[in-house]
Amino acid sequence: MAKIEVRDCVFSYDDKIDAVKGISFDVQEGSYTTIIGHNGSGKSTIAKLLIGLLEKKSGSIRIDGMELNEENLYDIRDKIGIVFQNPDNQFIGATVADDIAFGLENHQVDPSKMDEIIQEYAKRVSMSEFLAHEPTRLSGGQKQRVAIAGILAMQPEIIIFDEATSMLDPQGKKEINELIYELHEKNHLTILSITHDIEEAVKSDYVIVLDDGKVIMAGKPEDVLMHQKEMIDLKLDIPFALKAVNELKKQGIQIKDTITIEGLVEEICRLK
Amino acid sequence: MPIEVRKLSHIYNEDTTLQMAALNEISTSIQDGEMLALIGETGSGKSTFVQHLNALLLPTSGELQIDDRIIRANEKATQLKSLRKKVGLVFQFPEYQLFEETILKDIAFGPKNFGVSEEEANQLAAKYIQVVGLDLSYLEKSPFECSGGEKRRIAIAGILAMDPDILVFDEPTAGLDPKGAKDMMELFRELNQKYHKTIILVSHDMEHVMNYCDRVIVLNKGKILKDCSVKEFFKESDLLYQLNIDPPSILKLKDALRAKGFQIDDDALTLESVAACIKKEVRS
Amino acid sequence: MKNFTLGRYMPIDSFMHTLDPRAKIVSMFLLMIAIFIPAGFVGYITIGLVIVLAIYASKLSLRFMWNALKPIYFMLTFLLIINILVVKSGDPLFTVFGFTIYTNAIMHTLYIAIRLIYMILITTLLTATTKPMDMTTGLEDLMVPLKKLHVPAHEIAMIISIALRFIPTLIEETQRIIKAQSSRGVDLQEGKLMEKIMAVLSLIVPLFVSAYQRAEDLANAMEARGYIPDRKRTRYKQLHIHFRDVCVLLLCAIVIGISIGIAIWL
Repeated sequence: MAKIEVRDCVFSYDDKIDAVKGISFDVQEGSYTTIIGHNGSGKSTIAKLLIGLLEKKSGSIRIDGMELNEENLYDIRDKIGIVFQNPDNQFIGATVADDIAFGLENHQVDPSKMDEIIQEYAKRVSMSEFLAHEPTRLSGGQKQRVAIAGILAMQPEIIIFDEATSMLDPQGKKEINELIYELHEKNHLTILSITHDIEEAVKSDYVIVLDDGKVIMAGKPEDVLMHQKEMIDLKLDIPFALKAVNELKKQGIQIKDTITIEGLVEEICRLK
Repeated sequence: MPIEVRKLSHIYNEDTTLQMAALNEISTSIQDGEMLALIGETGSGKSTFVQHLNALLLPTSGELQIDDRIIRANEKATQLKSLRKKVGLVFQFPEYQLFEETILKDIAFGPKNFGVSEEEANQLAAKYIQVVGLDLSYLEKSPFECSGGEKRRIAIAGILAMDPDILVFDEPTAGLDPKGAKDMMELFRELNQKYHKTIILVSHDMEHVMNYCDRVIVLNKGKILKDCSVKEFFKESDLLYQLNIDPPSILKLKDALRAKGFQIDDDALTLESVAACIKKEVRS
Repeated sequence: MKNFTLGRYMPIDSFMHTLDPRAKIVSMFLLMIAIFIPAGFVGYITIGLVIVLAIYASKLSLRFMWNALKPIYFMLTFLLIINILVVKSGDPLFTVFGFTIYTNAIMHTLYIAIRLIYMILITTLLTATTKPMDMTTGLEDLMVPLKKLHVPAHEIAMIISIALRFIPTLIEETQRIIKAQSSRGVDLQEGKLMEKIMAVLSLIVPLFVSAYQRAEDLANAMEARGYIPDRKRTRYKQLHIHFRDVCVLLLCAIVIGISIGIAIWL
């Protein structure tokens, strides 16, 4: 079942040039979907359209079967959480506990029940020891984990990651990537990740390639990412394994295209 | 203009409860024309170290020498400006230092501060906007109209226009898309090879370090943990795992192949050379 | 910055720190009123005793309180000189170089000095023992009756708390921009007027651009997490009045009572 259904969606920032030019795609329930495209291709605009921070000019967006419009905007936001790029600018509370509480307060949760919820979700993202910490004493990765806890506390069905790891150091990137994968595998959340990391796309279930506000390709990574000519034309990276395959072919070795290192090693072993 | 660092220490908030040693008796030297990578986890002292190179921070103890200029601890440093002209420091997200009405004025701002005439500064702006890969039509635009990647290039042009001999970049590719990051690294290579600048690159991206740099210095808790050539550094992934660094894909591939009984040269760090090793194994 | 004590919170574990912020804010107001009731020497001694007691109960060092008073030393010296020159009433105290100093000049200065010192000490006690965020929460609660007058108490509290949350971030940002511009040859200390103006601009413009970006991101993040201005919210942080708070309020009420009593009957 499609958890997110976007049809012919058009959006413009200035009414002159459309930033999103009639986009259609589906995100299946429980899937890990990635959107790739270079900066300025319209990726982040789509994220903001999906949670109603921006209003589409035409077309339709359906979340969980509900048409996104002004009346049910708030009901839809209950279903979707979003983690943005800059860890500092989405930390609202004075401390970790306050920040996790922010969404609960908005949903008028009884304050006497909040502590229990906060502790549960802080634990889920391994931030239990930091509840009283102020954001200045946390690393970028820790702040992003707090943002995720705040979202999980709202019990969403979908989480959008809008380049959530691009400002983190390798340690933070690793932590967040592992957490995203876990939320998908264990909690069966629908994940939509907007990313530059081609290797993340390789690991996902479904890839959507954007360019100039349009969907260029969409499908399983092993189908989409194999189209290397198109990928290079779109100024995108191609998976490392595919680069290695190209080099081997150049040196006269016949080998099947593949996008994972494991797949590549398997193919090479078959040659021996 | 070589850099000599002798037992350099830096302690933040000395004599308070917040006292923290960021650098602990570091000694090293950097030669002209090197393309050096400075790596280490967040809080390892990288940023503190590079800020000493143009005297934004002064040593708590020890000294550093840049050309014939010696900066010692507990010595009131004067004429820092001349040093800042020689060592161009590009901070992380440098696009946030743009402030002028036009790109021309912004790039010319640095040189003018160092006493270059207006006319000459404008010529430098015209030269360096092209060096960073943008055309002359940009000069009259406002920097705030440009895209993120362009802004960063403009900010870098502003430092290049000061004509420093040594360039320090703190995570210059953070937040760029892969194409933007690659173009940026190619620019640094050009600055190093064509303009003979010494490049010091603070980076988390091991692919960039492996493909573009000659030498690696690893900082850990304010000390130099490893100082060696890129070739030696990426010889084995064990060292990287020990340092909590995710190895570049090529090392992962080599490891996976070795586990299957393949013989791959330690020195093979490019796809070309690894592919050649595979070819030899497969054909034999 | 290091010696800046006025308005700074000191994380200590003390009786004063455990008090309810509302009780502390109200007590501060009561004492401020008491200071301005003309209750003479006895009145000042009573308030003085309460302040000494509060300092003791706050575990703040005397050096800290002394530093807090630093900004007014100059003002007080200046005031003393003016009073000596202007006030010519009371008994002549002594004469220097043919210039007579009268008792009232000294007394006038002393009265103003005591009031000023008391006010600063009381404010410092409040800010040093109350976390800024707790202060905001306390103020929000105290402003609830004002909601009837359409004062947006909650929105004001939200604005203050977000401002407090971002102060350290913006300070860090400022330091970063100073360093980045210094690397471009900006000299904030020296230079001609025009150069100085450019130096300041080179800091303010980037700071403004970045603050604007942060504000936009933050608004998006708040909205995405279900924040709707005007709509009712609950609050995680709940304040509770304890017996100790009642005692403190009572003590301050007694002080005000004594002052009024003295002013009327003595």
